Amino acid sequence: MRAEVLKGHLDGLLLAALEAGPLHGYAVMEALRTGSGGRVDLPTGTVYPALHRLERAGLVRSRWSTEGGRRRRSYELTPAGSRALAGERSSWREFSGAVSALLEGRPWPTPA
Amino acid sequence: MADPRLTGPSLDPAARQVIGTYLAELADHLGGPAAARAAILAELEDGLWSATAAHQAGELSPEEAARAAVAEFGGPPTVAAGFGPELAAVTGRRVGLGLLATGPLVGSSWLLVAAATWTWAGREPPAALGLVAGLVGLVLVVAVPAAMVAVAVSGRLSRWLPAGPRVAATAAATAASACVVGDLVLLTGMLATTVLAGGMAWPAGVVAAGVSGVRLSLAGRAARRCLAARATLP
Repeated sequence: MRAEVLKGHLDGLLLAALEAGPLHGYAVMEALRTGSGGRVDLPTGTVYPALHRLERAGLVRSRWSTEGGRRRRSYELTPAGSRALAGERSSWREFSGAVSALLEGRPWPTPA
Repeated sequence: MADPRLTGPSLDPAARQVIGTYLAELADHLGGPAAARAAILAELEDGLWSATAAHQAGELSPEEAARAAVAEFGGPPTVAAGFGPELAAVTGRRVGLGLLATGPLVGSSWLLVAAATWTWAGREPPAALGLVAGLVGLVLVVAVPAAMVAVAVSGRLSRWLPAGPRVAATAAATAASACVVGDLVLLTGMLATTVLAGGMAWPAGVVAAGVSGVRLSLAGRAARRCLAARATLP
Protein backbone atom coordinates (compact mmCIF):
# COMPACT_ATOMS: atom_id res chain seq x y z
CA MET A 1 0.00 0.00 0.00
CA ARG A 2 1.60 3.27 -1.09
CA ALA A 3 1.99 6.26 1.24
CA GLU A 4 -0.24 8.38 -1.04
CA VAL A 5 -3.12 5.95 -0.56
CA LEU A 6 -2.86 6.45 3.19
CA LYS A 7 -2.70 10.22 2.97
CA GLY A 8 -5.14 11.64 5.46
CA HIS A 9 -4.93 8.57 7.68
CA LEU A 10 -1.21 8.68 8.50
CA ASP A 11 -1.62 10.56 11.77
CA GLY A 12 -4.27 8.13 13.00
CA LEU A 13 -2.10 5.12 12.10
CA LEU A 14 0.93 6.54 13.92
CA LEU A 15 -1.13 7.44 16.99
CA ALA A 16 -2.65 3.95 17.00
CA ALA A 17 0.82 2.37 16.80
CA LEU A 18 1.83 4.30 19.91
CA GLU A 19 -1.33 3.51 21.85
CA ALA A 20 0.14 0.43 23.53
CA GLY A 21 3.20 2.28 24.80
CA PRO A 22 6.33 4.20 23.82
CA LEU A 23 8.13 3.17 20.62
CA HIS A 24 11.12 4.48 18.70
CA GLY A 25 10.77 5.47 15.05
CA TYR A 26 11.85 2.20 13.48
CA ALA A 27 9.67 0.24 15.91
CA VAL A 28 6.70 2.34 14.76
CA MET A 29 7.48 1.40 11.15
CA GLU A 30 7.73 -2.27 12.15
CA ALA A 31 4.49 -2.09 14.16
CA LEU A 32 2.63 -0.73 11.13
CA ARG A 33 4.15 -3.38 8.87
CA THR A 34 3.48 -6.25 11.26
CA GLY A 35 0.01 -5.05 12.26
CA SER A 36 -1.09 -4.82 8.62
CA GLY A 37 0.46 -8.08 7.47
CA GLY A 38 3.02 -6.09 5.47
CA ARG A 39 0.45 -4.01 3.60
CA VAL A 40 1.26 -0.73 5.34
CA ASP A 41 4.98 -0.30 4.64
CA LEU A 42 5.64 3.40 4.98
CA PRO A 43 9.00 4.91 4.04
CA THR A 44 11.42 6.44 6.54
CA GLY A 45 11.05 9.86 4.92
CA THR A 46 7.34 9.73 5.79
CA VAL A 47 7.22 8.15 9.25
CA TYR A 48 10.00 10.01 11.08
CA PRO A 49 9.02 13.52 9.89
CA ALA A 50 5.38 12.74 10.69
CA LEU A 51 6.34 11.79 14.25
CA HIS A 52 8.18 15.11 14.56
CA ARG A 53 5.12 16.93 13.25
CA LEU A 54 2.86 15.15 15.74
CA GLU A 55 5.23 16.15 18.53
CA ARG A 56 5.19 19.77 17.39
CA ALA A 57 1.40 19.62 17.49
CA GLY A 58 1.49 18.24 21.05
CA LEU A 59 -0.09 14.90 20.12
CA VAL A 60 3.00 12.85 21.04
CA ARG A 61 6.04 13.58 23.16
CA SER A 62 9.51 12.19 22.73
CA ARG A 63 12.19 11.20 25.19
CA TRP A 64 15.86 10.47 24.55
CA SER A 65 17.55 7.55 26.24
CA THR A 66 20.77 5.61 25.76
CA GLU A 67 20.44 2.02 24.57
CA GLY A 68 23.48 -0.12 23.79
CA GLY A 69 25.67 2.99 23.77
CA ARG A 70 23.49 4.83 21.25
CA ARG A 71 21.04 7.66 21.70
CA ARG A 72 17.47 6.56 21.12
CA ARG A 73 14.39 8.73 20.74
CA SER A 74 11.12 7.16 21.81
CA TYR A 75 7.65 8.56 21.29
CA GLU A 76 4.52 8.24 23.39
CA LEU A 77 0.98 9.56 23.21
CA THR A 78 0.00 12.67 25.13
CA PRO A 79 -3.54 13.06 26.52
CA ALA A 80 -4.30 15.28 23.49
CA GLY A 81 -2.93 12.48 21.26
CA SER A 82 -5.25 9.94 22.88
CA ARG A 83 -8.21 12.24 22.26
CA ALA A 84 -7.10 12.80 18.66
CA LEU A 85 -6.83 9.01 18.18
CA ALA A 86 -10.40 8.55 19.42
CA GLY A 87 -11.52 11.20 16.94
CA GLU A 88 -9.59 9.52 14.10
CA ARG A 89 -11.24 6.18 14.92
CA SER A 90 -14.70 7.70 14.95
CA SER A 91 -14.12 9.50 11.62
CA TRP A 92 -12.71 6.34 10.06
CA ARG A 93 -15.71 4.22 11.14
CA GLU A 94 -18.08 6.73 9.61
CA PHE A 95 -16.02 7.10 6.43
CA SER A 96 -15.42 3.38 5.90
CA GLY A 97 -19.05 2.56 6.70
CA ALA A 98 -20.31 5.06 4.14
CA VAL A 99 -17.84 3.95 1.43
CA SER A 100 -18.58 0.25 2.07
CA ALA A 101 -22.30 0.97 1.81
CA LEU A 102 -21.78 2.76 -1.49
CA LEU A 103 -19.52 0.05 -2.93
CA GLU A 104 -21.85 -2.74 -1.86
CA GLY A 105 -25.08 -0.96 -2.80
CA ARG A 106 -26.40 -0.85 0.77
CA PRO A 107 -28.22 2.10 2.33
CA TRP A 108 -26.22 4.27 4.75
CA PRO A 109 -26.70 4.83 7.57
CA THR A 110 -28.14 1.40 8.20
CA PRO A 111 -31.91 1.71 8.87
CA ALA A 112 -32.79 0.95 12.51
CA MET B 1 17.23 -3.34 29.87
CA ALA B 2 19.18 -2.86 26.66
CA ASP B 3 17.71 -4.17 23.45
CA PRO B 4 19.85 -7.26 22.64
CA ARG B 5 19.54 -6.45 18.94
CA LEU B 6 21.62 -3.35 19.50
CA THR B 7 24.80 -5.09 20.54
CA GLY B 8 25.83 -7.21 17.54
CA PRO B 9 26.14 -5.63 14.08
CA SER B 10 27.12 -2.17 15.32
CA LEU B 11 30.51 -3.67 16.32
CA ASP B 12 31.24 -4.75 12.75
CA PRO B 13 33.59 -2.28 10.97
CA ALA B 14 32.14 -2.93 7.49
CA ALA B 15 28.59 -2.38 8.74
CA ARG B 16 29.71 0.79 10.52
CA GLN B 17 31.27 2.00 7.28
CA VAL B 18 28.03 1.45 5.34
CA ILE B 19 25.89 3.27 7.87
CA GLY B 20 28.46 6.03 8.44
CA THR B 21 28.63 6.75 4.70
CA TYR B 22 24.85 6.87 4.47
CA LEU B 23 24.54 9.26 7.41
CA ALA B 24 27.31 11.51 6.03
CA GLU B 25 25.48 11.77 2.72
CA LEU B 26 22.21 12.43 4.51
CA ALA B 27 23.86 15.18 6.58
CA ASP B 28 24.92 16.88 3.34
CA HIS B 29 21.30 17.04 2.22
CA LEU B 30 19.74 18.23 5.49
CA GLY B 31 19.25 21.96 6.06
CA GLY B 32 17.92 23.79 9.10
CA PRO B 33 19.38 24.46 12.55
CA ALA B 34 22.47 22.41 13.48
CA ALA B 35 20.88 21.01 16.66
CA ALA B 36 17.81 19.81 14.76
CA ARG B 37 20.01 18.19 12.09
CA ALA B 38 22.14 16.45 14.73
CA ALA B 39 19.02 15.12 16.46
CA ILE B 40 17.65 13.74 13.17
CA LEU B 41 20.95 12.04 12.36
CA ALA B 42 21.19 10.49 15.83
CA GLU B 43 17.61 9.25 15.61
CA LEU B 44 18.07 7.77 12.15
CA GLU B 45 21.37 6.15 13.14
CA ASP B 46 19.54 4.31 15.91
CA GLY B 47 16.82 3.34 13.43
CA LEU B 48 19.40 2.08 10.93
CA TRP B 49 21.07 -0.12 13.53
CA SER B 50 17.69 -1.49 14.59
CA ALA B 51 16.93 -2.25 10.94
CA THR B 52 20.38 -3.82 10.52
CA ALA B 53 19.78 -6.08 13.50
CA ALA B 54 16.39 -7.07 12.08
CA HIS B 55 17.94 -7.93 8.70
CA GLN B 56 20.80 -9.82 10.33
CA ALA B 57 18.25 -12.05 12.01
CA GLY B 58 17.45 -13.19 8.45
CA GLU B 59 20.90 -14.81 8.15
CA LEU B 60 22.65 -11.89 6.43
CA SER B 61 26.21 -10.87 7.34
CA PRO B 62 26.49 -7.61 9.32
CA GLU B 63 27.63 -5.72 6.20
CA GLU B 64 24.84 -7.18 4.05
CA ALA B 65 22.33 -6.43 6.80
CA ALA B 66 23.57 -2.82 6.99
CA ARG B 67 23.24 -2.49 3.21
CA ALA B 68 19.71 -3.89 3.42
CA ALA B 69 18.88 -1.40 6.20
CA VAL B 70 20.20 1.50 4.14
CA ALA B 71 18.19 0.34 1.13
CA GLU B 72 15.09 0.02 3.32
CA PHE B 73 15.49 3.59 4.58
CA GLY B 74 15.69 5.00 1.05
CA GLY B 75 18.06 7.41 -0.68
CA PRO B 76 19.45 10.27 1.44
CA PRO B 77 17.98 12.96 -0.87
CA THR B 78 14.51 11.41 -0.52
CA VAL B 79 14.76 11.07 3.26
CA ALA B 80 16.14 14.60 3.60
CA ALA B 81 13.28 15.93 1.45
CA GLY B 82 10.83 14.26 3.84
CA PHE B 83 12.31 16.23 6.71
CA GLY B 84 12.25 19.51 4.72
CA PRO B 85 8.87 20.73 6.02
CA GLU B 86 9.77 19.92 9.64
CA LEU B 87 13.13 21.67 9.39
CA ALA B 88 11.46 24.69 7.77
CA ALA B 89 8.94 24.80 10.62
CA VAL B 90 11.68 24.50 13.26
CA THR B 91 13.70 27.24 11.54
CA GLY B 92 10.69 29.55 11.33
CA ARG B 93 9.77 28.92 14.96
CA ARG B 94 13.26 29.59 16.29
CA VAL B 95 13.62 32.77 14.26
CA GLY B 96 10.16 33.98 15.34
CA LEU B 97 10.85 33.30 19.02
CA GLY B 98 14.29 34.89 18.77
CA LEU B 99 12.92 38.07 17.23
CA LEU B 100 10.09 38.32 19.77
CA ALA B 101 12.62 37.88 22.58
CA THR B 102 15.20 40.38 21.31
CA GLY B 103 12.75 43.04 20.10
CA PRO B 104 12.06 44.53 23.55
CA LEU B 105 15.81 44.64 24.28
CA VAL B 106 16.53 46.60 21.10
CA GLY B 107 13.55 48.89 21.63
CA SER B 108 14.32 49.64 25.27
CA SER B 109 17.99 50.36 24.54
CA TRP B 110 17.01 53.03 21.99
CA LEU B 111 14.33 54.44 24.30
CA LEU B 112 17.08 54.83 26.88
CA VAL B 113 19.15 56.79 24.35
CA ALA B 114 16.19 59.07 23.58
CA ALA B 115 15.45 59.61 27.25
CA ALA B 116 19.08 60.37 28.10
CA THR B 117 19.49 62.70 25.13
CA TRP B 118 16.31 64.73 25.43
CA THR B 119 13.94 63.94 28.29
CA TRP B 120 16.44 63.76 31.14
CA ALA B 121 18.49 66.62 29.63
CA GLY B 122 15.34 68.79 29.54
CA ARG B 123 15.70 69.42 25.81
CA GLU B 124 13.10 69.46 23.04
CA PRO B 125 13.49 66.52 20.57
CA PRO B 126 13.88 67.49 16.89
CA ALA B 127 11.07 66.94 14.39
CA ALA B 128 13.15 64.29 12.63
CA LEU B 129 12.72 62.05 15.67
CA GLY B 130 9.03 61.80 14.84
CA LEU B 131 9.90 60.49 11.38
CA VAL B 132 12.24 57.86 12.84
CA ALA B 133 9.59 56.82 15.36
CA GLY B 134 6.99 56.57 12.59
CA LEU B 135 9.21 54.35 10.46
CA VAL B 136 10.03 52.12 13.43
CA GLY B 137 6.29 51.89 14.16
CA LEU B 138 5.67 50.71 10.60
CA VAL B 139 8.37 48.07 11.00
CA LEU B 140 6.79 46.86 14.24
CA VAL B 141 3.37 46.60 12.57
CA VAL B 142 4.90 44.13 10.11
CA ALA B 143 7.51 42.37 12.26
CA VAL B 144 5.55 41.57 15.42
CA PRO B 145 2.49 39.94 13.78
CA ALA B 146 4.73 38.09 11.30
CA ALA B 147 6.90 36.68 14.12
CA MET B 148 3.76 35.70 16.06
CA VAL B 149 2.36 33.91 13.01
CA ALA B 150 5.66 32.04 12.56
CA VAL B 151 5.55 30.86 16.17
CA ALA B 152 1.83 30.04 16.13
CA VAL B 153 1.75 27.91 12.99
CA SER B 154 4.88 25.97 13.96
CA GLY B 155 3.80 24.99 17.46
CA ARG B 156 0.86 23.33 19.15
CA LEU B 157 -1.60 25.58 17.38
CA SER B 158 -0.60 23.80 14.15
CA ARG B 159 -3.18 21.19 15.21
CA TRP B 160 -5.95 23.64 14.39
CA LEU B 161 -4.35 26.14 12.03
CA PRO B 162 -4.43 25.23 8.36
CA ALA B 163 -1.09 26.97 7.65
CA GLY B 164 2.02 24.83 7.51
CA PRO B 165 5.83 25.05 7.46
CA ARG B 166 5.86 27.20 4.33
CA VAL B 167 3.86 29.90 6.12
CA ALA B 168 6.09 29.60 9.20
CA ALA B 169 9.25 30.09 7.15
CA THR B 170 7.74 32.91 5.08
CA ALA B 171 6.40 34.74 8.14
CA ALA B 172 9.73 34.38 9.95
CA ALA B 173 11.64 35.64 6.90
CA THR B 174 9.27 38.61 6.70
CA ALA B 175 9.71 39.41 10.39
CA ALA B 176 13.50 39.09 10.17
CA SER B 177 13.65 41.29 7.06
CA ALA B 178 11.48 43.89 8.78
CA CYS B 179 13.86 43.84 11.76
CA VAL B 180 16.81 44.44 9.44
CA VAL B 181 15.01 47.51 8.08
CA GLY B 182 14.10 48.59 11.61
CA ASP B 183 17.67 48.29 12.84
CA LEU B 184 18.96 50.23 9.84
CA VAL B 185 16.41 52.98 10.53
CA LEU B 186 17.38 53.08 14.21
CA LEU B 187 21.11 53.04 13.56
CA THR B 188 21.08 55.74 10.91
CA GLY B 189 18.09 57.80 12.05
CA MET B 190 18.63 57.80 15.80
CA LEU B 191 22.37 58.23 15.64
CA ALA B 192 22.10 61.05 13.10
CA THR B 193 19.32 62.76 15.07
CA THR B 194 21.06 62.56 18.40
CA VAL B 195 24.50 63.53 17.08
CA LEU B 196 23.05 66.47 15.13
CA ALA B 197 21.20 67.52 18.27
CA GLY B 198 24.63 67.79 19.82
CA GLY B 199 23.70 65.97 22.96
CA MET B 200 24.18 62.28 22.28
CA ALA B 201 24.31 60.27 25.49
CA TRP B 202 27.34 58.29 24.33
CA PRO B 203 27.36 55.31 26.72
CA ALA B 204 23.69 54.57 26.04
CA GLY B 205 24.17 55.29 22.33
CA VAL B 206 27.10 52.89 22.02
CA VAL B 207 25.17 50.14 23.81
CA ALA B 208 22.05 50.67 21.66
CA ALA B 209 24.09 50.77 18.44
CA GLY B 210 25.89 47.58 19.49
CA VAL B 211 22.64 45.79 20.32
CA SER B 212 21.03 46.90 17.05
CA GLY B 213 24.15 46.03 15.05
CA VAL B 214 24.24 42.49 16.42
CA ARG B 215 20.50 42.02 15.91
CA LEU B 216 20.73 43.39 12.36
CA SER B 217 23.44 40.88 11.48
CA LEU B 218 21.60 37.94 13.09
CA ALA B 219 18.24 38.95 11.57
CA GLY B 220 19.81 39.19 8.12
CA ARG B 221 21.23 35.69 8.41
CA ALA B 222 17.96 34.39 9.87
CA ALA B 223 15.98 35.81 6.94
CA ARG B 224 18.31 34.06 4.47
CA ARG B 225 18.02 30.76 6.40
CA CYS B 226 14.22 30.94 6.39
CA LEU B 227 14.12 31.65 2.68
CA ALA B 228 16.55 28.78 2.04
CA ALA B 229 14.38 26.44 4.14
CA ARG B 230 11.28 27.54 2.27
CA ALA B 231 13.00 26.96 -1.07
CA THR B 232 13.49 23.26 -0.22
CA LEU B 233 9.75 22.68 0.19
CA PRO B 234 7.82 20.99 -2.62
